Amino acid sequence: MESPPLLLRPDYDNVIVKRFIIATLLWGIVGMLVGVIIALQLAYWPANLGLPWTSFGRLRPLHTNAVIFAFTGNALFSGIYYSMQRLLKVRMWSDKLSAVHFWGWQAIIVSAAVTLPLGYTEGKEYAELIWPIDLAIAVVWLAFAANFFGTIAIRKVKHLYVAIWFYMSMVITITVLHVVNNLALPATLTRSYPIYAGMTDALVQWWYGHNAVGFLLTTPILGLMYYFLPKAANKPVYSYRLSIIHFWALVFLYIWAGPHHLLYSALPDWAQTVGMVFSLALLAPSWGGMLNGLLTLRGAWGQLREDPILKFFVSGITFYGMSTFEGPMMSIRSVNALSHYTDWTIAHVHSGALGWVGMSVFGMLYYMAPRVWERPLHSVSLATTHFWLASTGIVLYIVAMWTAGVTQGLMWRALDESGLLQYPNFVDTVKVLNPFYWIRFTGGTLYLVGVCVCAWNLYKTARSPAAPAVTENPEATAVVGA
Amino acid sequence: MSDKYVPDQILGHSDEADGIEEYDNALPAWWLGLFAFTVVFGVLYTVDYHFISHRSQVKEYTAELEAAPKPAAVVAGSASGPEAIEAGKAIFGANCVGCHGADLHGGVGPDLTDHTWIHGGRLPDIEKTITTGVPEKGMITWGPILGPQKIAQVAAYVHEAGGGE
Repeated sequence: MESPPLLLRPDYDNVIVKRFIIATLLWGIVGMLVGVIIALQLAYWPANLGLPWTSFGRLRPLHTNAVIFAFTGNALFSGIYYSMQRLLKVRMWSDKLSAVHFWGWQAIIVSAAVTLPLGYTEGKEYAELIWPIDLAIAVVWLAFAANFFGTIAIRKVKHLYVAIWFYMSMVITITVLHVVNNLALPATLTRSYPIYAGMTDALVQWWYGHNAVGFLLTTPILGLMYYFLPKAANKPVYSYRLSIIHFWALVFLYIWAGPHHLLYSALPDWAQTVGMVFSLALLAPSWGGMLNGLLTLRGAWGQLREDPILKFFVSGITFYGMSTFEGPMMSIRSVNALSHYTDWTIAHVHSGALGWVGMSVFGMLYYMAPRVWERPLHSVSLATTHFWLASTGIVLYIVAMWTAGVTQGLMWRALDESGLLQYPNFVDTVKVLNPFYWIRFTGGTLYLVGVCVCAWNLYKTARSPAAPAVTENPEATAVVGA
Repeated sequence: MSDKYVPDQILGHSDEADGIEEYDNALPAWWLGLFAFTVVFGVLYTVDYHFISHRSQVKEYTAELEAAPKPAAVVAGSASGPEAIEAGKAIFGANCVGCHGADLHGGVGPDLTDHTWIHGGRLPDIEKTITTGVPEKGMITWGPILGPQKIAQVAAYVHEAGGGE
């Protein structure tokens, strides 16, 4: 502790960050391409190709798993490995564990991409993967957890910055969620039976499903926002105490809200009430993150005109605010009676996924890539193009699905004067929704094109001749061992 | 805590946060108000729903059923004559051609013109088959969807056009 400061280039592991960035872009394109294909299948059924492997029912879980665990997962890991080394002023505890984490995670993704189209599934949403892959996920995740806490243990600072708290909530909660929801008795190599039955199984599943959204797609992204946003804007975080209070409120309330996925089901009324009231109480804690993000940018709004990184973050935070308002509203019984099982849910989840997660991830990638490859960004205007492609794509997507969802919900419940269903045939609703499915397909395609532009831009950045133009923050990283 | 609150004071942790400075600004009052409102609302809603109004989804369902307009009581087989057959043809076109074909020669479902009546070819048999459906073979239960009046009409059409017994 008393050794004199050394003026050294810090020995951070940037290789692992680069690997995760490449994997993010690669799987992002694959996962979103599958999304665009299934969006086309809903608008134009022959795109199913008449083959079992390419049918909607098998490709849809491939899409959700790829964008959640492959695109977002790899993106989270890239940002966490980048920021935690710098926040804790120490290289990752074990390079071996980092490598096990990276290659293990990619192997899991490949095995998912093979087994899901072949029809091997546990039939639980976002937890479809069969039990041998579930075991592999647990092992690789624990390797990451060991490396994560090992790095915290050997840190060279005392105070843990708020971003680390958010990362920690992910590492701990996802471990518990994954293990508890996937408890099953294997029957064969590809088949198993859950240890829960009936309603209990459904409740455990949606406790998992909802908190996978909470602790994989929300809290770690908030943590990344708390690191990358003030770095990119070069502004102090608005409020330390707000960050602490909304963190604890968020993680405490989130874990109870799962039953809102089972309103008007066989779930007992009291459990449905728990799901609804905890979801409503989540509104303010969620908005705490939005406030701290947007208020950090006080006086920095002019930078938005020039800086694509801030554009992406502000748009991401805005979509976060929107979808965390929409979520509590949809958990109200009477609203849910209309919205449930309709495309409104699809609109909601994509304003979170494309808006909040996607835009924040791209902002982060544009910040990190020039720093880990030590080259200026190939093209700022291409990054801005990506921003507008993505924004247009999201708006088309969400507006189409909102309209489709409300239309669908109203048509399902419409009765004629004699008390019979006004649209007794499901296909009547499908015919009305078809134009919206085409608009959704167009929006998704624009978003995918944007990601391809991003991948090209970052590839050109990495391959450009060496010219260290972007330096690390000198005050924080030039002095090590202090 | 007796110190007067001054906004935008740097906390001074930045050497431990990769250079990121933090203010310790007060929580926005409207934000705290919103948080308190949602929590209080949640408590009041729960108490009211379960202990004062004693609501439940079963009661909600029962009340909705009672409030819904009742389908007019129609005696089975009451539709006959050319108008009924004409109306039945339209209903057949909207609901049945997908499986039985526009010309009634079948497709996914059986041919209705081959004088082979799997579930009986008399008018009441046809009505019964349509009303209950044949779910094990993929024909849905049309009773609650079409209602007795329309079923009588479409049965009259099938009986006429298919050459029923």
